[in-house]
Amino acid sequence: MKFTFNASPNLRQSQSTKQIMLELMLGLLVVFGFSLVYYNSVYGMEYALQAVKLMVVSLVVALVTEIAFAFFTKKDAKFDFAYIKQFLGSSFGWITAIILTLMCPISIRPYALGVSTFIAIFFGKLLFGGFGNNIFNPAAFGRAIVFATFMGATTDVVTGATPTTLIATNYNWLVVNPEMIQEMMSEVGGLGKLFTGWYPGAIGETSALVILLVGVILAIRKVIDWRVPVVYLGSIFLLTACVALLRGVGSYEGLPGFIWYPLVHVLTGGVVFGAIFMLTDPVTSPTSAQGRCIFALGAAIFTVLIRIKANLPEGCLYSILLMNMLTPMIEKSLEGKQLALRKKAWIISGVVGVVGLGSVLLAGNVIEAKEPAPKVFLKTEDKDVNKFEAKITATKDNGDGTATYKVEAQGYASTEDASKFNKFDIVVNTKDHTIVSVTPTEVVDTEYVGDKILNEAFLSQFKEQKLSDNIEVEVNDAVTGATFSSKSTVRAVEEVRKALGY
Amino acid sequence: MSLFKGPMRQHIQGHKELTEHVDILEIKAGNCVYIPMLSGASTNLEMLVQEGDKVLVGTKLAVCNERNVVPIYSSVSGTVKGIEKRMHSSLKPVNHLVIENDGEYKKEQSFEPLDYETADRTALIDFMMNAGIIGLGGAGFPAYIKYKFAKDVEKLIINAVECEPFITADYKMIQAHKEELVTGILAMKKMAMAKEAVIAIKKTHPDLISFCEEAVKGLDGVSVVAVPDVYPMGWERVLVREIMHKEYEKLPGEVGAIVNNATTAIAFGNALLHGEAIITKTLTVSGNAIKHPQNVTVPVGVPVNEIVEACGGYTCDDVKLIAGGPMMGKTIVNDKFVIDRNMNAITILANKPYDSVACLRCGKCSDHCPAGLQPVRIAQAVKTKDKNAMEKLCAMDCIECGLCTFICPSRLDVTENVRKAKRQLMMAKK
Repeated sequence: MKFTFNASPNLRQSQSTKQIMLELMLGLLVVFGFSLVYYNSVYGMEYALQAVKLMVVSLVVALVTEIAFAFFTKKDAKFDFAYIKQFLGSSFGWITAIILTLMCPISIRPYALGVSTFIAIFFGKLLFGGFGNNIFNPAAFGRAIVFATFMGATTDVVTGATPTTLIATNYNWLVVNPEMIQEMMSEVGGLGKLFTGWYPGAIGETSALVILLVGVILAIRKVIDWRVPVVYLGSIFLLTACVALLRGVGSYEGLPGFIWYPLVHVLTGGVVFGAIFMLTDPVTSPTSAQGRCIFALGAAIFTVLIRIKANLPEGCLYSILLMNMLTPMIEKSLEGKQLALRKKAWIISGVVGVVGLGSVLLAGNVIEAKEPAPKVFLKTEDKDVNKFEAKITATKDNGDGTATYKVEAQGYASTEDASKFNKFDIVVNTKDHTIVSVTPTEVVDTEYVGDKILNEAFLSQFKEQKLSDNIEVEVNDAVTGATFSSKSTVRAVEEVRKALGY
Repeated sequence: MSLFKGPMRQHIQGHKELTEHVDILEIKAGNCVYIPMLSGASTNLEMLVQEGDKVLVGTKLAVCNERNVVPIYSSVSGTVKGIEKRMHSSLKPVNHLVIENDGEYKKEQSFEPLDYETADRTALIDFMMNAGIIGLGGAGFPAYIKYKFAKDVEKLIINAVECEPFITADYKMIQAHKEELVTGILAMKKMAMAKEAVIAIKKTHPDLISFCEEAVKGLDGVSVVAVPDVYPMGWERVLVREIMHKEYEKLPGEVGAIVNNATTAIAFGNALLHGEAIITKTLTVSGNAIKHPQNVTVPVGVPVNEIVEACGGYTCDDVKLIAGGPMMGKTIVNDKFVIDRNMNAITILANKPYDSVACLRCGKCSDHCPAGLQPVRIAQAVKTKDKNAMEKLCAMDCIECGLCTFICPSRLDVTENVRKAKRQLMMAKK
């Protein structure tokens, strides 16, 4: 009979760390599955296979790194299968690999992902003392390496521009004018598309819908703490809603600015993915509920600030790394009994929230909203127009009550060489002197600029205008060079007016 | 669901069905009983008998006069054989008074019964002291102290929660001793000058709730309150939090509450009605490694091996023998220790070691700690030997309920780490 000693308690709950990690992995694989379906149906099998290839590369690198580390750090450096199996079983490197792959664009070169995975696992985790001791979220660490080092390492497997890039580079994360809102939203495909994730982006970050569903299940199963995504996404929403109110962002499809604009912030980029899979990483976030709330709030503030003010398209990743660094400080500020600390936690979150909101509003106040281009009008009697030379080279009666004037007029090219003329055919109704058509026949302005005169929308403005009037047209693209070509066209028309005695 | 605090408690499967509806088995003492000469932490007792003396059931054997007065009475009739040092269920070696059992159970009334309705408060408190009534919920602290210093008591909470898994002794005792329970409660209410008394019972025991409601029907200011089936619902701090929505610093008295176990009330009622001290104990013998899990009534001082034998013996060769419930009870490495007055269970579990992995800092221990401590960080402080941090993290306020170890998904001995911190802090103080 053996009576075993054990320090009480002598009961254990059923949920184990291994099980938590397994469920997390299943959640991530569901997200990956969605993106495979997307790439397969939108871009074809080749793209889906590329995604699988990237995942395999990352997983293999992660496992090989861990096996090698286990092998070389073991005292006798003998290959001991049981030891290595145990090491892998308590190191969970594959989670890092999966998360890292899901954060990368499909165009990344496999070697770049492989190197990043190695750096993430080896420098980001193992050197710190392995699972449980790392300061930074290893996957975020690896993704930052990709950002810093391998931005150009892309393959031919390319997709269209992602909504994040579009919003960040073309619209500076802020649009106020309803017309521009419409334009931006139609470019990114609308809120519905942003929510379902049926658009190109990082492999696993696009579908807010799928990620949130997985997140809810993981939270119910106590794999992740619900507080982190709720506080993080909620704070991003509130902060950007305040920016929308401050800047008077117009409404979109009936939704006021303080609703649709924050939604765009929440649904674009890696925010939802980061909220569910990265900020909830227990190893690199505070241990108490209070600490985790403050942690998530801080991350939300950094995310919004980086987005609207910094030179980076996306703020989620760096906000995670920054907050990882601040974790020990948050922990330090919450020492003692949690019930008694609640007041202090409220004060800290209040101060952080107010300072954060202040900085976000300050940043929001100074960024320039993307406005529609100002309208430029040209009249045939404008001085600006008449400084160009023009001459009628031929006149032909078409015999159907119209006449064609062949006109040459200086344009952009004349600024370098005054002998260069653009050539136009201008057809005029000989009875009432209205214009039938204006057609450029030879454009000597540079190709890019010249394209603009060939623009049908611009030329059609001349139709049925009376030559007796001082004809006014709108330059429909305020590109400086194009204005020259537009003026050249108007000058040609003026020459016809002059010939007719107006 | 609160933003700034975790649940601070957890449902644990109770396994109460193993013993709840099995009749109580009465076990007679063997040749000898060994009465622990221990009161709380004090072993400095005044002996009232000596070797060779004949004693009866109910004879006063010794009295502790250190700080609090606690007399100890004999549980059998027979001859005093002397003092023997044995391991006690608190894991300490303690002097036990050996009494050779003559098997006749000749009784002597320990003290005169008392009518609580006519007696005044001070008389009742003195009576409780002389009857040796101690807290039977596990602590074993002399019960009269709480009443002596009672002031502005709003609620007397009678704790019949029994939140430890496997244990059903309180449940069985209440059903068997309705009259003693009611007498005890009313007397305690009078001593506490409490506005009302409530009996706290888990929601999951509807039969016991209706039994108690029936028992206190028509009594003024006594009621039954159902509490959730979570651990550690039976800790007075959690009970006061649940029932009164109040937090206190050190003792429940600060917020106008007195908490006593239902079996303490029964023991007190028994003393008042029959002049009998705590000389027998009803306890639950359960677990997954005992042949016949059931409740047993035994004289105080009977060694555990005799009880296990009466329950059919162990069912496997490697067991964890626990004095108490599986959460707070201590494992003892032999079965020669005896039943003391404040024991209410023996739990026998098959030994099944767990694989542990590194702490992932998930904070589940902090979220669930009923005292609101942060065990994960106390463990870190122990690792770095940072006494300052241990103190700041209030390690001394841990009651070792074991919930942090229970909840830990990495299967670490979290509670043990907090114990280490407590030991280091205590050493530093000395």
